[in-house]
Amino acid sequence: MDQLEVLKKEWQKREQELPKLSYAAIYSMLLKKSSSIVKWIFFIGIAEMLFWIAILFFIPDSQHKILVEMGLHKISIYVNLVHYVVVAIFIFYFYKNYKRIRVTDTIGELMANILRTRKTVRYFVYYNIGMFVLSTIAVNLFFYFNMHHLYEVVDLGEQALSEEKFQTYFIITQLIVGLAFLGLLMLFYWLIYGTLLKRLNRNYKELKKIEA
Amino acid sequence: MNEDLEHSFVTQLEANQNIVHKICRLYTNSRDAHNDLFQEITIQLWRAFPKFRGDAKFSTWMYRVALNTAITLYRKSKRQIQTQDYEKISFKISSEDYDDTIEEQLKLMYSAVKDLNDIDKALVFLYLEDKNYREISETLGITEVNARVKMNRIKEKLRKVLNP
Repeated sequence: MDQLEVLKKEWQKREQELPKLSYAAIYSMLLKKSSSIVKWIFFIGIAEMLFWIAILFFIPDSQHKILVEMGLHKISIYVNLVHYVVVAIFIFYFYKNYKRIRVTDTIGELMANILRTRKTVRYFVYYNIGMFVLSTIAVNLFFYFNMHHLYEVVDLGEQALSEEKFQTYFIITQLIVGLAFLGLLMLFYWLIYGTLLKRLNRNYKELKKIEA
Repeated sequence: MNEDLEHSFVTQLEANQNIVHKICRLYTNSRDAHNDLFQEITIQLWRAFPKFRGDAKFSTWMYRVALNTAITLYRKSKRQIQTQDYEKISFKISSEDYDDTIEEQLKLMYSAVKDLNDIDKALVFLYLEDKNYREISETLGITEVNARVKMNRIKEKLRKVLNP
């Protein structure tokens, strides 16, 4: 006889060995909080958006002064405006995806929906990284071609640096800080989404394999 | 109204809790994880309950939500210690009609099923629950033919594990 058939018979026979929870025990579970993956993806996504928005408020005044004096103030306002619009669009899609996730879908549909949510998050990540890289490159190129002006604008305080030295230091510092920040960013995304969705991805692939 | 809903839900879940326990047993390896998953499934069932229209049987609806939770929503706890004892207790011999070889085979079979991936396990679980291929395909969101083909492959895989 088929071994799985034997297990099936036994499986049904052994129901009485299962734990038995009381009405009260089940009832108390209704009040507990869920810790599902979807919830975490959603919260982390929201936290991320808040983080990016908050960062804009923490740009130091000295930086601001430099922007004004270098004549970048107006353009930075426009860029920020566009950025906010894009973020708002992302938030909208994000919420829409989240609402679409229903636990009563088939397993395949549910997984596709979760992965779609993740895709939106991923585009958001790409956008943020891309925006960071592009704006950093643009601003630094601008500074590079206006180095003399920048030298005059930047308040060096007590330290007296020759213009040549200043130029070297400036470029090196910008490069290191930029790369370090980019690295941190990518590490953060890799850790958060990579670990959270590893199993889901694997299961989705299994399901796809069945369909293929 | 809300109290009625709560009462109706808890009563039905209490009556059908075996389904959830069986899923928990298949998808977890310790008592803590079992309870954890049971709780998460309960929460997900309760969330979806207002939309449950009664056009399907409560238990049928439960299969889907519970498996969804086990496969996609549940954040597996990191403290997952492989405690084999737990399974052994649950699959100790309960009747005398069985000789040792069959019991041994059963144990091996059960642990082979537990070693399957999440999706294969769901298929086997529904099969063990005596669901037909239509119901299996509806729960997983694949076609009936695919469910059948996949099930045959899993059977073959299990046979190889047991008779190497």
